[in-house]
Amino acid sequence: MPYTVLDNFLVLDLSNRLSGSFCAKTLGLYGCDVIKIEPIDGDSNREWKDYIDDDNNTINPLFLHLNVGKKSLSLDIESPEGSKILKQLIKKADIVVETFKPGYLDSIGSGYESSTKDNQGLIMTSVTPFGQSGPYRNYDYTELTIFAMSGAMHREGLPDRSPLRYGGEIAQYYSGNSAAAATSVAIFNRLRTNLGDWIDISIQECMAGHPHQIGRRAPFIYSGETDARTEPRTLPSIGESYAVGTFRCADGYVSFLPLGARMWPNIARMIGRDDLITHPDYLDSDKRSENKKSLEAIFQSWLDQHTREEIFLAVQKAGVPGSPILRSDEVTENEQFKARDYFTEISYPSVGTQKYTGDPFRLTSIPKKGAAPPPTIGQHNQIILKNYLNYTHSDIARLKKAKVI
Amino acid sequence: MSQQKPARDHFPPLKGIRALELAEIWAGPYCGCLLADMGAEVIKIESIQRISRGPVSPPKGSSGYPEYDPGIRPWNRQANFNSTNRNKMGITLDLKTPEGADTFRDLARASDIIFCNYARNVMDGFGLGYEAIKKIKPDIIYMLMPGYGNTGPYKDYRSMGMAIDAISSHSFLRGYPDLDQSSNSLVHHPDAVAAVNGVLAITTALIHREQTGQGQFIDMSQAESFMTHLGEIYIESQIRGIPRQRRGNRNPGFAPQGVYRCSGDDNWIAISVTNEEQWESFINVADIDEISDIKYSTLKGRLESHDILDTHIENWTSTNDRYDLMEKLQNNGIPAGVVIDCGADTYADPHLNDREFFQIVDHPDAGIFPMSGPVIRFASQKDIIRHEPSPTLGQHNEYVLGDILGYDQSHIDDLEREEIIGITPLLGADLGGSRRAKEELKRQQSNKN
Repeated sequence: MPYTVLDNFLVLDLSNRLSGSFCAKTLGLYGCDVIKIEPIDGDSNREWKDYIDDDNNTINPLFLHLNVGKKSLSLDIESPEGSKILKQLIKKADIVVETFKPGYLDSIGSGYESSTKDNQGLIMTSVTPFGQSGPYRNYDYTELTIFAMSGAMHREGLPDRSPLRYGGEIAQYYSGNSAAAATSVAIFNRLRTNLGDWIDISIQECMAGHPHQIGRRAPFIYSGETDARTEPRTLPSIGESYAVGTFRCADGYVSFLPLGARMWPNIARMIGRDDLITHPDYLDSDKRSENKKSLEAIFQSWLDQHTREEIFLAVQKAGVPGSPILRSDEVTENEQFKARDYFTEISYPSVGTQKYTGDPFRLTSIPKKGAAPPPTIGQHNQIILKNYLNYTHSDIARLKKAKVI
Repeated sequence: MSQQKPARDHFPPLKGIRALELAEIWAGPYCGCLLADMGAEVIKIESIQRISRGPVSPPKGSSGYPEYDPGIRPWNRQANFNSTNRNKMGITLDLKTPEGADTFRDLARASDIIFCNYARNVMDGFGLGYEAIKKIKPDIIYMLMPGYGNTGPYKDYRSMGMAIDAISSHSFLRGYPDLDQSSNSLVHHPDAVAAVNGVLAITTALIHREQTGQGQFIDMSQAESFMTHLGEIYIESQIRGIPRQRRGNRNPGFAPQGVYRCSGDDNWIAISVTNEEQWESFINVADIDEISDIKYSTLKGRLESHDILDTHIENWTSTNDRYDLMEKLQNNGIPAGVVIDCGADTYADPHLNDREFFQIVDHPDAGIFPMSGPVIRFASQKDIIRHEPSPTLGQHNEYVLGDILGYDQSHIDDLEREEIIGITPLLGADLGGSRRAKEELKRQQSNKN
């Protein structure tokens, strides 16, 4: 359910990759009118390539998630007439979001410089793997390869095995979200100056400048410390590792992060073993590290007898950071997200109704408007060309016949 | 940017905006960091009663300090703090005292934004919550960002990034597919997402204020913020009727994809072959006889024999240099990336260096080091990337109270004498002790005497 704060701003979403598409979608959640310009045979993200056990006639959930609320104009932007329509739309737009290789928009006459000639206030947001400059700027990427180059992968996984990526499309989402924040900053500045800007977002840089990376890079430059993969359930920086990490419990898994020695008594009381606080084997940090094996066995036997829900309540009572690990099908049913009406039901023709994620934050003084489902290919061709560019029915019919739209 | 000259003199986009930061660790501080990068005047409010800058007196040789030396003021030399608070001003203020709260109210009157990543009820407890501040500063923009949001059954639950990672299902989705979740590391990535969404939230609220004159309360749930990055996985689970399983480094939509050992110690390269054209190209580039076998000529064949295929690929990569491989593969249109570690490899990365990602920063207590830079780049700001050092504890007390609020020196001296402000943490301030710590310190001092 979009907010209305950015109601007067028109976004042209030219993205052919996740990060830009998510940036435009997020701006749409706060009210921007988002026109998605996709190739005449559709955004390649519509195809559900991951799901090969199926006959593959269904729509990709990634497409649904990224394009909810957008209008679709299918347009061949490389054809002479298509490129003319693109230029006309850019003239009307407040924001262009794009993920092409650096220089591509210039090559079809719609780069930042030429686009601002007739539209001084234009904000162009470019999201690319390596940014607009530098030796790697034309390199291709997937989530795996760009995550590798971000500094975050090398420490993930076990010491004797290959480094691991995160679970979702994390780097691309994170940089797309950063791009949306930067775009919002530029909109605010435009209200004060009437001037637009060109925003250069590099996925590699967003991840390399991420607080985890900079927080763990500083010890390297300060004193040469390295950040190697470690055995699970160890966290040297906390100084204690008696109950740090992820453990099996009666109905799944739970993660804990007690913060150092001061939380040891809380853990002992939580598992009903106050006696351990004064036990000679576990008296101080050194003793607890020395006897980690027996301590973990005691901890595990308590975990085996408790469910994730019970443990979640117990850690809150004990004041120890911890949480159950939910499966993806459990998240949509979780009581907290239900109580806050976080998920929204949205329908799409070939797949029916599903619960979609809601807003990343709530602006409590701003009214909301209804949510539109993701568009079918070229669903809004007529409306867009008629309303924004005053094309007639016969113009539109001709463009369709010529396969421009 | 390529051939792009700044078209005009353009002030930093958030210039003239003042924000008060009450925040620790990552989510709040990085939000402040981004706002400050873009020109906002961010005043970080800490206290000498409770610090979040590591232990007050760590032993020499401790990790995370320049040359493993905490020095005489360790709180000003701590790596994590100094890397995530650039471009801010820092003051100390004991909000539990009436004088401290009064000073905070004076600051609120002079500010546009207050943001806080403490537990939901902490500021209310000081009588400094949104409703109280709104009475004295009606158009204030006030953001609280607890783990699960400001309403609902979990509203008072404590959380950290790893907890949000778990509840969102991301912890379930990562890891080696042949092992269970108990071999996973803890990941705090949701903190960073909340920081970035914090900037988006604050600036949309500024846009609203610019247009209507109204401020507002922003209710951020760090979980809900991060879950927008996993939306397709929830939709997929509903369509297929089963939860998403772990995939390790592979992707069921194309093959081969993996992270392969290269020559040298703990050196790796990530390679993705995403379509048939790239596969043809890979066969030509890679010096591997076995992969031209007909059984690998279809995606189905490659997915079925992914393990064997990986062995062949790794036999080739393990005798080659990771950077040579990346260049060779990329030049032939195949996505490949060196797995760089976040220290030495990142500092040596030719691309990041070409973009001047690292800036030399001169910190009064920590020394001169190249620090990782701002990441949001505006063409109009090309030549004025801002990178001031993180503030030392209470560094800007005098400036903020004197120059901004106009307090006279005797007032400031009184506050210092009363330990409402200061530049040295009280004993026990690293353990969340406050009054007790103060009493303990006094007791120790009187013992000495």
